[in-house]
Amino acid sequence: MLFILWLPVLSFAQERLLKGYVVDSVERPIVHATVTLLPDNQVYHTDDTGYFEFSKLYEGTYQLEVHHVGYVQRHVAVDLGGIDTTLHVSLHTVGRHIEQVRVEGKVTAVDNLVNAENAAMPIKVITRREIELMGSRRLDEVMKEQTGVAVVNDISGGSRAVGVQIQGFSSNYVMVLIDGQPMLGRNNGNFDLSRISVTNIERIEIIKGASSCLYGSDALGGAINIITRHGAVMPQAQASLLYGTLNTVDATLEGEIPFANQRGSVVVSGNYYRTDGFNTDDRYLSGGSTTFPPYENLSFQGRMRYRATKNGTIGLTARYAARNSKMYNAWSEELTLEDGQKDQDVNIGLSYDHHFAHGLRSMTRYYLTRFDTKLYAQWLRQGVLAGEEEFGQYNHRIEQQFAYSPSNHVKFTGGLGGSIEVMDNQDLDDKRSLQTAFVYLQTEWRPIDRMLATLGLRYDHTNSYRGRVSPSLGLHYHLSESLLLKAGTGAGFKAPDYKMRYQVFFNPSANYLVVGNDRLEDVINGLDAAGELSYKNSYMINLLSGNLQAEKSWSNNIGLTWSPSSKLQTEASVFYHRINNQINSINVGTGTTVSQIYTYRNLPKVVNKGAEFSISYQATPDLQLSIGYQYLIAKDLGVLDSIRAGSYPYNQYNNARTGEYRKSKPSDYWGIEERSRHMANLKLLYEYRPWQTSVNVRANIRGKYPFQETNGNQFIDDGDKFVPEHTLLNVTIEKKLWNRRLTLKLIADNVLGFTSRYMLGQPGRVILGGFSYRIMKE
Amino acid sequence: MKIYLDEIWPILASRRVRWTYIGCFLLLLVSCGKDEDWRPFYEDGKSTVIYDLAGDTDASMGDGAEGKEKRNFNIFLFRFKDKRQIWIKNAHDSAQWFQTKDWDIAFTGPYNSEIYVNNAYHELNPGYGGEADKTAVVLIRQPYEAVTVAPSDSEFDASDVHKIGWASSESSYGWFRYSLQTHIMQALPNRTYVIRLPDGKYAKLQLINAYKGNPEAVTNMNWPAPYYTFRYYVQEDGSRNLDTSPQ
Repeated sequence: MLFILWLPVLSFAQERLLKGYVVDSVERPIVHATVTLLPDNQVYHTDDTGYFEFSKLYEGTYQLEVHHVGYVQRHVAVDLGGIDTTLHVSLHTVGRHIEQVRVEGKVTAVDNLVNAENAAMPIKVITRREIELMGSRRLDEVMKEQTGVAVVNDISGGSRAVGVQIQGFSSNYVMVLIDGQPMLGRNNGNFDLSRISVTNIERIEIIKGASSCLYGSDALGGAINIITRHGAVMPQAQASLLYGTLNTVDATLEGEIPFANQRGSVVVSGNYYRTDGFNTDDRYLSGGSTTFPPYENLSFQGRMRYRATKNGTIGLTARYAARNSKMYNAWSEELTLEDGQKDQDVNIGLSYDHHFAHGLRSMTRYYLTRFDTKLYAQWLRQGVLAGEEEFGQYNHRIEQQFAYSPSNHVKFTGGLGGSIEVMDNQDLDDKRSLQTAFVYLQTEWRPIDRMLATLGLRYDHTNSYRGRVSPSLGLHYHLSESLLLKAGTGAGFKAPDYKMRYQVFFNPSANYLVVGNDRLEDVINGLDAAGELSYKNSYMINLLSGNLQAEKSWSNNIGLTWSPSSKLQTEASVFYHRINNQINSINVGTGTTVSQIYTYRNLPKVVNKGAEFSISYQATPDLQLSIGYQYLIAKDLGVLDSIRAGSYPYNQYNNARTGEYRKSKPSDYWGIEERSRHMANLKLLYEYRPWQTSVNVRANIRGKYPFQETNGNQFIDDGDKFVPEHTLLNVTIEKKLWNRRLTLKLIADNVLGFTSRYMLGQPGRVILGGFSYRIMKE
Repeated sequence: MKIYLDEIWPILASRRVRWTYIGCFLLLLVSCGKDEDWRPFYEDGKSTVIYDLAGDTDASMGDGAEGKEKRNFNIFLFRFKDKRQIWIKNAHDSAQWFQTKDWDIAFTGPYNSEIYVNNAYHELNPGYGGEADKTAVVLIRQPYEAVTVAPSDSEFDASDVHKIGWASSESSYGWFRYSLQTHIMQALPNRTYVIRLPDGKYAKLQLINAYKGNPEAVTNMNWPAPYYTFRYYVQEDGSRNLDTSPQ
């Protein structure tokens, strides 16, 4: 109504246009930054070139508030005189000020309208420059240096199961996406991030907490979204090579070129990586053995964008990666295990982006991914296979997204889509495909200048499980110019998989049977009729049969960001995550020939709670310091119940070291495996300008954490095995030469050489040296 | 709130404080962890400790092998007196050994993990119907060192400990737990088996590990097994004194 009344008035007034570009500190456009014009409260989201505009303005004084996730918010005062004005607003990355390299035309996510900010959970953004300064080669190396993130081995998944843990959530609850599309390929639920080269990554968004409202099932505890590079302003190429300890080779070739008068661009890159692996257990494993596997990995990525019409852009993304690994574990010459792995990964994405009139934007996306892997282990001397596994899967996914702002205060992002996941595996008889349909709506609402509320709602329906709604709610409120309050709450879920519902699995060597929940009654009745059952827990069987629920989570966070000046940013927050219905196995009977019979059940409750704290301080223009810290308590409340109830085997406390053997009490419970109470990251970045040299020192400190339950009571107490507290110190030195065309690098990881036999994937000191060279037209 | 913060900011940003930050940072870098190495000490000077006694490892390696015939684990017997391992691989072996008093314990079942004390009266015992008619086992839920006296004969006679294997429940007499998450066997530390042997002497037994090298924790699901580490003490004078504390 207001608009209708205003418009005629405006048309008679002196109208001015205020426009501009939002760029980062190296003049790269920032796409999708939010520009708010005050006091009018008009909002504009910058386009692919970082452009924004406000038209029909009176002369006068205005304030622009510019913000984007991962950047420090800026306020710009504008004195709009009698002419149209063009502004140039540059934003600093959060926690980083020394960014000297000018790389043209690299911008943030363009083929996804879903904004990670809408998860209402804390987001950590890692930029390309940060990765470069770290000198990291693989994604797991980047991730394990982030506060609250750990990369851990999962012994139960075999020697190759490595996953990433975020705020106490294990890898099977953390979704991994590439350009907003889910990646496949998990080993016992663990996603091994070392599969991914950091070459060609523009930025990484880490969402800490339930984000099913954005990504659906599996994003129960968080998500890692990898955004690849795209866009080119001028033709250029880059070659880089690193070589060092463990015969590590990291070789990359990249190229980019614009075409059709800058309407299109192509970015391609190829990477080869290899390492000899490392043995962290030389007490038991003899020469030539490794616990951190040797491997070689080859990957190619390409991205093309073409603006076909004034309002329409076509995007194409393709990625191929292959890994080959063979490792040996020799307990003696007689007992040598050869352990091999081969996997392949294909991701192809197609998108069409269209701007309609009245600010409606549409994004149509199709995505195809394929992952296949082959694992085997065999005893060399005996020529006997110890295990073999082969599986492959496809995922097709189609999605239609919309973004629309009906007024300056509100923005809607919505979408709907579906996916089909097909497994090659013949074991999983008739139910080999998983079909999912989803619909979502996210609302950003700015009722007043200092407040932004986000509301997300998503519904997922799968053929193997019922539908589920995932809501989220977030709030940003400026208490003062330098003080921002952030709070969020959101829900997550993970539907039970096929094996938990239908598979009947017999382990002949350990002589036990695991029965999928939906088939429990039939199988038990069958065994009973055949006289093969010696005991059954009828109460449990009736309670559990056909009643397996989805795992659910509920994440909450609240925190304050205080930025008193551009030199200092501090952030403190507390988080509380609750996982309900976590799925675990339970004994429901014993047989006459089969020793034990198990099925799956939902456990009552797991809680991860803690606090996070970070400071980033620009001590001098050339010296930057930052500290991150996480305190975490991760406990299974079911364990506490079992200890209180005195049920076996939880009722005992055995400490062989102190000789203390007694009844257990709740205070004996330490927490869940692989979670440290304390984690801290210290970073120092110094640049000596006369030499164009930068030094980046990072100390990643982890408090002790439990590795394995060894004293027989099924919960972690101080009598079990722990990884001791330790510091991994990494140093990278970088020097630029020849007008910044040549960069020399010296990388030293784990300088103190810390290793532990319970940290299988952590090599000792690794030193690498190398260069990168850029070729471009002047 | 805002005013308060605005006041402390100049203090935090002052030059002197700035160097304190750097100092703290460097100090924190120095802190570094050490991998602990602790293993229980089993040798007390009196007990016999058997390390890494190989069970039927061929059978365990055959697991999961396609096209290979799966066979059961061969039983082996063990005699405390001369630490002798006796393999039972065929009918001839079993006829020669089972019903004699010439062995003390038998390692049977998957991974040789189910242990029997030679006994004539229990149907599933390899010594069933044989000469060992006075034997019995009592489980004492205490650490090995703490068991210093054998229980009375009435306790032995009343005991119903037969198979010593997977301790799947509170009432089970088993010596290990099997984790379905990690698929690893773990010996329960406070389970000591006091035995009245075929020759009437008293002994105590602790089963320590089934994995090669007796590692404190297993870091690979294919860690070679079964390789038994266990210790025992036989009181040769026929008394009930089982004190093995070093003098």
